[in-house]
Amino acid sequence: MARWGSTFPLIGVLVGCLATAGAASAQTDPLEIMDRVDQLMRGDSSRGVAIMEVVTENWEREITMEMWSLGTDYSLVRVEAPAREAGTATLMADENIWNYLPKVDRTIKIPSSMMGGAWMGSHFTNDDLVRESQLTEDYDIEVAFEGDRDGSDLWEFRLTPKPEAAVIWGHLEFEVRQGDYMPLRARYYDEDGELVRTMAYSEFTEFGGRLVPAVMDMRPTDKPGERTTVRYEELEFDIGLDESFFSLRMLQSRR
Amino acid sequence: MSESPWSRIGWRNLGRNRKRTVLTALGLAVGFFAVVFIVGWSQGIMAEMVESATSLVNGQIEIHDAEYRPERSLYDTIGGRDGTDVEALLHTLDADAAVVAAAPRVYAGGLISSGQATTAGMFMGVDPARELTLSRFLDPLLIGRMPTLGRNELLVGEEMARQLSVAVGDELVVVSSAADGSMANDLFTLVGVFGTGLVELDATFAVMPIADLQTLLALPPERIHEIAVATSDPWIAETAAARLTDSLPSSGRAVEVVSWATLNPAMVEYVALGESMYFVIIIVVFAIAIFGVANTMLMATYERRREFAVMLALGATPRSVRRVVFSEAVALGVLSLALGAGLTFPLMVWFHTAPPDMSWAVGDVTLMGALLSPSLRVEYDPGFWVASAAALFATAILASLLPAWRAARVPPADTLAGL
Repeated sequence: MARWGSTFPLIGVLVGCLATAGAASAQTDPLEIMDRVDQLMRGDSSRGVAIMEVVTENWEREITMEMWSLGTDYSLVRVEAPAREAGTATLMADENIWNYLPKVDRTIKIPSSMMGGAWMGSHFTNDDLVRESQLTEDYDIEVAFEGDRDGSDLWEFRLTPKPEAAVIWGHLEFEVRQGDYMPLRARYYDEDGELVRTMAYSEFTEFGGRLVPAVMDMRPTDKPGERTTVRYEELEFDIGLDESFFSLRMLQSRR
Repeated sequence: MSESPWSRIGWRNLGRNRKRTVLTALGLAVGFFAVVFIVGWSQGIMAEMVESATSLVNGQIEIHDAEYRPERSLYDTIGGRDGTDVEALLHTLDADAAVVAAAPRVYAGGLISSGQATTAGMFMGVDPARELTLSRFLDPLLIGRMPTLGRNELLVGEEMARQLSVAVGDELVVVSSAADGSMANDLFTLVGVFGTGLVELDATFAVMPIADLQTLLALPPERIHEIAVATSDPWIAETAAARLTDSLPSSGRAVEVVSWATLNPAMVEYVALGESMYFVIIIVVFAIAIFGVANTMLMATYERRREFAVMLALGATPRSVRRVVFSEAVALGVLSLALGAGLTFPLMVWFHTAPPDMSWAVGDVTLMGALLSPSLRVEYDPGFWVASAAALFATAILASLLPAWRAARVPPADTLAGL
């Protein structure tokens, strides 16, 4: 199902939750839900077009991009607009990220020391793009809240890193709507328990027969007024991609 | 004192056993030499550490936008978003008496890539002509030449060149975040490699003409992050920085003028710690010497107890006898100082002006992040020499206290009777 989730990992996982809802009965064991989602997501392909709007203290910009994904391990994102940057592309395969730079016609692999850096100037890091599949591996998951909040029945899951997990967050909180398994919010806390950033999901829309949040909005806590908003314009699932699609040759093709 | 007969007796007594006198005096002289030379050498290391840390890259003073440190954001340029009149600022700095050089810089983090290899780096945009008058790290280059403006040329450190497996003439992909949020990327040609000996620095910095970096980052020419300033002496940087804070033309936004001492307080503390150790060294060295001197003087006075007995029998007071011994101690001090100075200062002059190069024995040494050459250069510190001379006299006199006391208490009759 949601391989576009590979690009925006946490969303992917949670959208996965949603997608499972049809098949599974209401389920409050978060680990079981997420594990099932993880399995269901493997092998599924997707293609979408999204507009990413980045607002910072110093500039604002909008990027239109086309994205493909396969399971949790592969995805490819190519910038379509603005024209000056069209063709710029990012390939994620396993834990690695390559960027293709059409201006200089070169591909560079992001060194591991730069995985914490911003992706395409957004509030997402390179790590965000490749780490998603490890949530259930790296974190213990428990239900922190269940019931009505702000008018919706929801679960709040609390993800605490396992002792040996090499992760940067102190803990995470996810809110998932009970009725349709829609993700509502994800909060990221540092090791001191301070809120670092919040992702909000909205405009739940049916794409390719699946209900997904069409808008994701990431806001860093320490920079009020800054945000990255991703809005899906198109999204289709199970389009029959295989691993060979996610190659450096595809990364560099300008189509 | 030279008029008193007691001091003449004291002085003459030194000649009684010349070998012993010279050996004792040599003990004190070598102590003096050790203290002055060790401290001079330590001060030489400290001076070189500060000099190396400040003149290699940074300069003694840095001027930034008040918000620039510690985050060093791309957007916090001097004068803020509107930038500043860089030429006017440099002109003001050049006019200051303490300033020997000033150079503008732009910084940005990013990636540098060649073929399969990519590394994170710090891009440093410099004015090549001004930079060469201020910092040492680009002069001389290990290989190649300085980059020429407008031709997308850059320099990297030798460690980065090694990690990327690149040589002069190779093409490098440079990627960063531009000030307008776009992904800055371009091809540059490697025209030279610098080597500071500090691996972290040689692995991190890529240097290019300031205007080329501004073009890459979509920054206008009036936006720079830093002006590095060199002063004639690192120790005047603090006051010069305070003066420059007041005299710089204000463009509405606060600038910060900071000296190396503010940026690197650990090094200042290290120097202060060293200075507090110098007096410990004096005490330790002369404390060792004092027992040797006291032992010799005790023997010398014991040998002469008949002489003191005669003096006392003839009506000399115990006080006069003590003065004889003290005078001898002072005379010994004078002799020791003369020997010590004769031993120390020719060597000091040699090690100050032409320090022996020890690089055959040890490689480059880093201390507090500064690179030191393995030479034995000593610094002059006349105030400390005076303190050491005073310590030498104090040692001689302290060492004579017990012998003097015992000499004055010789029982005349018993001693002369041979008992």
